[in-house]
Amino acid sequence: MGGKSLSNTTLVLLIGLAVFALVPVLKTTNYQMLLAAHVLVWGLFAVSFNMLFGVTGMLSFGQALYYGMGAYSVGLCVKYLGAAWFFPGMLLGIVLAALFAWLLGHLIIRVSGVFFTMLTLAFGQLGWQVMFKWYSFTGGDDGVQNIIPPGIFANKVVYYYLLLALVGASLWFMGRLNASPMGLILRCVRQNPERVRFLGRRVRRNQQRIYMISSLFTALAGGLMSGVDYSIHTDMFYWTTSGHVILMSILGGIGQFFGPFLGAAVIIVIEDVVGAFTEYWSLIIGLVMLGMVLGLPHGLMGGIDRLKARFAGSGARPARDGRS
Amino acid sequence: MHASAFAQEKVVKIGALYPMSGRAGIYGMDSVAAAEMAIEEINAKGGAAGYKLQLINTDDKSKPDYAVTVAKRYISDDKVNFLFGVVSSAVGLALTEVSKQEKKIFIGTDHAATELTAQNLQPYYFRVANNTFQSMAAGALYLKELAQTKPWKTIAYIGPDYAYGHAQIEELKFNLDRFGVKYQMVGEFWPKLFEADYTSYITSIMQAKPDIVVSGFWGGDTVAFIKQAAPYGLFEKSLYFHPDAGGNYELLSAMGDSLPLGLVLSARHHNNWPDTAMNKDYVAKFHKKTGRYPTYSAEGAYVGVYAIAEAVKKVGNPNDSDALVKALEGMKFQEPEDPEGFVSYIDPASHQMVQVQAIGVTMPNTDYPPATRMLGNWKIYKAEDLLPPKEWIEKKK
Amino acid sequence: MDLSFFVVQLLSGLTMATFLFLIASGLTLIFGVGKVFNFAHGSFFMLGAYAGYQLSSVWGQSFWLSLVAGGIFAGVLGMLAEFLFLRRIYGRADEGGFQILLTYSFILIIDDLVKLVWGTEYKSLAKPAVLQGAFSFSGIVIPRYNVAVILIGLAVVVAAWWFLNRTRAGRIARASALDREMLAVLGVNVPMTMTLVFGIATALAGMTGVLAAPLRSVTPGAGIEVIIDSLIVVVLGGLGNFWGAWLAALLLGEVNSFAVVFVPKWATLFSYLVMALTLLFKPEGLFAPRKVRRV
Repeated sequence: MGGKSLSNTTLVLLIGLAVFALVPVLKTTNYQMLLAAHVLVWGLFAVSFNMLFGVTGMLSFGQALYYGMGAYSVGLCVKYLGAAWFFPGMLLGIVLAALFAWLLGHLIIRVSGVFFTMLTLAFGQLGWQVMFKWYSFTGGDDGVQNIIPPGIFANKVVYYYLLLALVGASLWFMGRLNASPMGLILRCVRQNPERVRFLGRRVRRNQQRIYMISSLFTALAGGLMSGVDYSIHTDMFYWTTSGHVILMSILGGIGQFFGPFLGAAVIIVIEDVVGAFTEYWSLIIGLVMLGMVLGLPHGLMGGIDRLKARFAGSGARPARDGRS
Repeated sequence: MHASAFAQEKVVKIGALYPMSGRAGIYGMDSVAAAEMAIEEINAKGGAAGYKLQLINTDDKSKPDYAVTVAKRYISDDKVNFLFGVVSSAVGLALTEVSKQEKKIFIGTDHAATELTAQNLQPYYFRVANNTFQSMAAGALYLKELAQTKPWKTIAYIGPDYAYGHAQIEELKFNLDRFGVKYQMVGEFWPKLFEADYTSYITSIMQAKPDIVVSGFWGGDTVAFIKQAAPYGLFEKSLYFHPDAGGNYELLSAMGDSLPLGLVLSARHHNNWPDTAMNKDYVAKFHKKTGRYPTYSAEGAYVGVYAIAEAVKKVGNPNDSDALVKALEGMKFQEPEDPEGFVSYIDPASHQMVQVQAIGVTMPNTDYPPATRMLGNWKIYKAEDLLPPKEWIEKKK
Repeated sequence: MDLSFFVVQLLSGLTMATFLFLIASGLTLIFGVGKVFNFAHGSFFMLGAYAGYQLSSVWGQSFWLSLVAGGIFAGVLGMLAEFLFLRRIYGRADEGGFQILLTYSFILIIDDLVKLVWGTEYKSLAKPAVLQGAFSFSGIVIPRYNVAVILIGLAVVVAAWWFLNRTRAGRIARASALDREMLAVLGVNVPMTMTLVFGIATALAGMTGVLAAPLRSVTPGAGIEVIIDSLIVVVLGGLGNFWGAWLAALLLGEVNSFAVVFVPKWATLFSYLVMALTLLFKPEGLFAPRKVRRV
């Protein structure tokens, strides 16, 4: 990815931010803003997941652990210490996630491929079980309710802009990382770890770093979510949450930085629209997914690129973000 | 389903959230059918205070976060007057939060977590079905009487490992103590919700040799447990006791002849009790509409719609939430599950519907096919004895 | 713990292990041969159960016929799914991810199709008359049906061994796990082999669905519920290792069974704990696939 596509990433980010910034102004109902907030949170979750999966080639099936950790740090702080602890709780969640990812990373990055995937699943599920069973502290599967951000952030529009700013800054940071020399190394790790080793770069250390970074932003997404819905639930730790973010990323296109974000937006909107008009949502979403898999071999983003290429008349194959 | 069809009419919009898929799908399906039945009846008689009732339903997928999103859409886009429904207590707890924030009345028709009408009560929440505490209080009284005719000492509990399973045994223990019943717990077993294989739990329970096995399952888990336990002879050696959801009709119909006789069960509504004209009429109408007999959850939805209609009649419009709250508090009305001489009412302090509980024993009965066993030999418990006492609510806060 | 209780609990664990293995065996077979991860494997299990219900409870056919037919029904649908859809994404970049996405869409579609055909009520399937009741000797009780399940599990192990080692199709299947190009050069129709293997695997799942139905309830949503446990078995056994899966299922079944006795409160934790510990110490699973020399 050269300098030109870096500016592309920034450009897309700025346009995206502007569009999302207009939502509270242009919305006709509060619900539209809620939906936009969900897209932002899941978009952040999906992009940080993709730093692991799409960029470095580490398919984690346990990122829900960090998502839940972020949410529960906020929720439990507010529950036990009061609303003023909302933001300190969010910070705590991020720190905890980084710490856990560092510790766990030492254990699980030793293995690769599907074994890495299964270990992340196992630890994610262990985390879920602990939160689920620790009724006296976490409230178990009843979840935690009444998590309202303090002061002016109790205003939904104010909170929305805070959310937008934090998501925007995180995406910008990850976009920079993606385009940096470290991003290049990560992509090499994905393609050929042996060669990275020959070049004198430490594969495991880089994997460990990206695992921490990804987990930290995932925790931020979880923390932000607790202020959107005002209630959290142990489902956030469950493997289906990890699965959801995997689906979003693949559907959007894991080869491109914004692919997972687009996937998140599409899945959230489809789930909502289809769920509202039929109880047979599962059949319809399944068929849509099936059609997309067969029709768009590089995800939605790949499809868009192909269209762009066709309209530009270049006939050239679309650039695929540092992939051979 | 769309507002435009009703544009010329005054409408009370009810935003329902029921699961329509997965394990709890049967409860959602039956609830929606019964709610629609009630709406047809009310609208045929001219509606409530000149308003027609209208129901919209979305599959909540039994997921709290999704349900919250849908509820917010209902309030902001669909402009519903009431939130309605919910099978899962976790979803109920998340929604009561939305109801509180948005000051929209939420009528709970099924979910049983006691805290919704106790420590988590907020002004806009009402529940028209009974909670687990009421079931367990009745259960404790049943066990107390049983001790006089058939002395027993030991209890083992098996229930799904989540809030509902834990609440039941905790509340049963509290009530046994409250009514001065002596007992000894010889084992508590916590398989996961939707566990497929109970064999090791069953052999473990049998080793503990309890006089009474208290069960806290619902739906398919009960079916699986009973099927797997029967050949081991568990039901001959111990009394199987399941006072909240054990006698659900979907279970009686799924088990057929393989349901052992003599199990002590209950549900939040029974198709064959009470033997009143109103209950018979309700069951027959449901059967005519859907071709099947209703499971317990349907009656809650049916009653819930009537509660809304009554409240709107009293207030004159469906928009003044605070006036509607006042109208609902203390409201009395006759329900299919009320025996002769009793009228259910909403307790103004807890917003909980106060109902009579009946516990029965499985016996052959082919009046409601495909079930070949139904409950009988009823024992009836007075509504007033079953509400959580103040000290219990205080302790929980 | 007295001896008879120990044996009873051991047998309980064995019943559980057999079901775990029967469901996971198909999953590991597909993975071993075609490196395909079928997330919808549990949905074929569910389809088998519903087909068995239809035949046995609605149309009044015998249990054994339903068992076979349920397997065939799921197997044919599995072959169709592979032939029409999965085949089209083989060899694509990020194939693994697309496999998950595609097979996940199968779960969603099958769930609703089942709901359309059979509704959401719980369905039941009766045990055959000969398998009702229990064997009992000196304090040890085991239901006849559970014995039959365990024996059928063993029969599947033997049959699979015979198929993989003694038949031409089995040898081709094993070979295609190693070098597809070479097989194709040798004139073997590799894609058809894959379709066949997929069919056998889903048929196994469907048959297991019928076998489990008299002990469980036939409900919607069952597909997604069994998949994680099967996944654990497959990985613990060493991916694609048929015998490994059998031993892993035994381990998990017995660990669970005794966890219920000793730590009933935490029993649900053990599957994940066993997997985490095993993979930490033996990252390739208990029984890593044999590295085969290339000639």
